[in-house]
Amino acid sequence: MGTIRLRIEPFLLPNLMIMTASSLQTALQSLPENAQEPIVDKLFAQHLLEKLSFGHNDIYPQYQTQSGRGLAVDYAARKSQEKDLFLHTKTNPDLLVELKGRDINLSPDSAKYTSTAKQLRGYLLGGYCKSARWGLMTNANHIQLFRKHGKVVHPATPCWPTNLDNIDEIVSRIKKKIENPLRALIVAVYNNKGGVGKTTTTVNLAAVLTLLNKKVLVVDFDPNQQDLTSSLGIPLSNGKVYEALKNRDIDFSEVVVPYKLTDKRTQKSVQFDVIPADKMLAYEVDEVKLRQDLKPSALFKGLDKLRSQYDYILIDSPPNWRIFSQRALYAADAILVPTKHNNLFSLENAAMAIQKFIPETQELKGDGTPIALPVFFNGEKTTHAQVRSAHEAIHSIIKSAKKQGCDLTACFYPKSVKSRQDLHIFEVPAYANIANAAFSRIPAVYRDKTAREYYKNLAKEYFVQ
Amino acid sequence: MSSLSDVGNLMHLYLDEIDPGKGTDAPEFLILASAQLLLQKGERNWIPVIIKEIGEDKYEVIGNSFIYAVAEEAGLEKIWCIIAEDDEDTAKISRVLAGEEIPKINLSKASRDEIASALQYLVERPGSALKGIKLSVATNRIDEAPRQYWKSLNEITKLKCAISRGKKLDMLKQVFYLTPQPLPDVITDPALLNSMTAAELKKMAKKRDITGYSKLKKPELVDLLRQSPD
Repeated sequence: MGTIRLRIEPFLLPNLMIMTASSLQTALQSLPENAQEPIVDKLFAQHLLEKLSFGHNDIYPQYQTQSGRGLAVDYAARKSQEKDLFLHTKTNPDLLVELKGRDINLSPDSAKYTSTAKQLRGYLLGGYCKSARWGLMTNANHIQLFRKHGKVVHPATPCWPTNLDNIDEIVSRIKKKIENPLRALIVAVYNNKGGVGKTTTTVNLAAVLTLLNKKVLVVDFDPNQQDLTSSLGIPLSNGKVYEALKNRDIDFSEVVVPYKLTDKRTQKSVQFDVIPADKMLAYEVDEVKLRQDLKPSALFKGLDKLRSQYDYILIDSPPNWRIFSQRALYAADAILVPTKHNNLFSLENAAMAIQKFIPETQELKGDGTPIALPVFFNGEKTTHAQVRSAHEAIHSIIKSAKKQGCDLTACFYPKSVKSRQDLHIFEVPAYANIANAAFSRIPAVYRDKTAREYYKNLAKEYFVQ
Repeated sequence: MSSLSDVGNLMHLYLDEIDPGKGTDAPEFLILASAQLLLQKGERNWIPVIIKEIGEDKYEVIGNSFIYAVAEEAGLEKIWCIIAEDDEDTAKISRVLAGEEIPKINLSKASRDEIASALQYLVERPGSALKGIKLSVATNRIDEAPRQYWKSLNEITKLKCAISRGKKLDMLKQVFYLTPQPLPDVITDPALLNSMTAAELKKMAKKRDITGYSKLKKPELVDLLRQSPD
């Protein structure tokens, strides 16, 4: 046996003697410094799950996450109902837990952190875990909660280093999150380069998600262009959105406008909601004043209150890195980056957003979001030679990012792994009817079958499980 | 199996004791050029041929037939082999792992991602008969179809995604197989109802003692029948 180091700061000792240590504190204390996974499991994980209010009937160890594939996740858990004990039915887990030993470094810059997060993501997306909403990974030194929404897995907390002082606080925060799941996923559609199809993507994605029975809100946060609002034939807001952003007492739902469309033949109607662009934000207020009025978190706080009413909130953002895009990115859980394969700048700007703007926003926000979704190619005719030169460009972008210590491979080539290069990039094919639909003020997916299939494909590849 | 069994062992065996089995369809050039290289670079096939024992000092190739053909061309007397179990499963997995046979997935149960990757593989094969299909359309249509009940892959041709009988369907048969579920007694799955004709739906309505169906159009019939009885 190695020596057991008690991780107690001297000044804490009297405190501990007066107040009895919590079970988690005791667990952490008793854990050897280099405890391997089985020890962490026995001494720490059991107490952790208990503290998260999962009882014996709610936990299943070594849970198989999908059919016909090897490894199982360490624990799956769900609060049991009276007649549906998770231990027995083993169906519809809510939380997956991946444990590591203390000998494995899970601090956020380490290689093991990346691989463990990837492993947990793989489990969460397994066929048996469609119901799972949370993934927890810990080695007792670090702990991080991830949220799963459809096919998107993103951090729900930072990767916290644990110690005797903070462990109870951290676990109670995690518990609070798990017990109050958020309904909506907030997605900002962003590329620093203009003309890559941000608005088209936002509108059609919203329309197709609605067809897939999701409740969707679209935010036109590009007040200078106002394209999204006008492409749907909705009147611009006249200062109301600005007011709602400024004033915490105004509920954002007051500025929501429904977009409704009824099929003449079947009489079935589809509806999604829109927060239109605000004229005031475009011309009347100068940027200095805007910065004084709108904190970086302004949009986030407004939308956060609407989260429980929608499955998806999509934000169309301007092609720059200024006040509106900054607030759009801050508000988002995930960023969708359209690019054009025949436009080098759209690729370079995508890399810039992923390498610079998104991490900056993450740092400011402090909960690990927003994350970048893999980039996709948007609607241009492709020839073999063009695709090849796009790949060459991406290759050099990835290479130069690597020199700066940033690995962009997964953002461009999500399917690539070390043993197999997979250079497929998701693509919404070129289709004239998509671009032309704007004239009719109706999203292309409601007018055209093929457009519908293309965007359904995008929705299912990125979002809906 | 006796403890003297050679199963799993790497063996150096006489080529003439090994039957080539199904052989390889690799082009002559690859065999000739590889044989020359093998002779120049030490005459040892570091990647072994997978064989099974069919009698005393008698073997048959079940995987890596290409290597056998190269060794034969190079005129080697002996070849390095691994002896595998003599059963169909072993033969199958050996051929698949050696890249000599395309593995199939169960379309009755496959996930959307699996279908998408299978179709992409087929479309991207050189000279593919499926070049013209819209990948996203075909993926969506196949994924959403009531494929758990399909008894034959011919159903794909009814999905209007430009996959017709003949060369195109044959390609799909290379990667998909089915393990169909029996049709339920009372069908309420809208995807399945939609795959039937209006006449069939009316027959079903009659069987279920539903009245007032005779003038309905197909979408209305589907709506009527998807309400489960009681």
